[in-house]
Amino acid sequence: MKRVEVKLGLPVVAPLLDIIKRTVDDLHGGLAVPQSLQDLDEELGAAWKCELLDGQNEDCRRFLALFDSEFFASGMVAFDDDNAESVLRACAAIRLRLRDRELRGLPDDVLEGAGVDVGKLDDAAQKIYMCYVFLATLQELIIQHLDAAILEG
Amino acid sequence: MTAFSARTETAPAPRAETELALAGLWRVVVLNDPVNLMSYVVLVFRKVFGFDEVTARRHMLEVHELGRSVVWSGLREKAEAYVFTLQQWHLTAILEPDETR
Repeated sequence: MKRVEVKLGLPVVAPLLDIIKRTVDDLHGGLAVPQSLQDLDEELGAAWKCELLDGQNEDCRRFLALFDSEFFASGMVAFDDDNAESVLRACAAIRLRLRDRELRGLPDDVLEGAGVDVGKLDDAAQKIYMCYVFLATLQELIIQHLDAAILEG
Repeated sequence: MTAFSARTETAPAPRAETELALAGLWRVVVLNDPVNLMSYVVLVFRKVFGFDEVTARRHMLEVHELGRSVVWSGLREKAEAYVFTLQQWHLTAILEPDETR
């Protein structure tokens, strides 16, 4: 089993965890992307959304489990075949929710092109944007090092 | 013949109409969003559809540049399963009737 260990800067990442935990709490109430399906009857549609939400909650739970006592002692988090997919999906869900709720003021093209002028954001928005970028960095790391395991899994 | 089946013959159930409406071919369409990383979308396409890197990248660029890409076409049941899986990965995926065939 391939395993990737990453040492994160505790003083930088620890303050972002408040935002992440708050956003995960918010995600318990609904899907990161409102989903619908044409011609699905009401009962099946409800079951569909319920199953998606259960999966989203489980992914977020596994993601938050990375930040345990070992992380606070050493700054280390580890990704492997077992948690890579969940972490990828959880990061996507949290980023989508941050964009929807807290970074709405940024135009799509600016956000997509990573052309955000951080200096022009207020302190709270800077922290949220840092969190948004941090989650993308984790995703890139996993995709770079564990893509074969994910594709085979 | 049971009473139930006799009743079915004289009054076709609404289910038959639903099944007729869902028959035929359906497209799985992925819509653009400004959040998910290009590399993430490529990985999801490869994982879900078994695309090679070039095909997955072509569909990702279609989504990015044109706002949408038809990633699969076929029977409704399988199309629904693909949409569900794409939605698990937080891509915006929809179904639409394939009227080209």
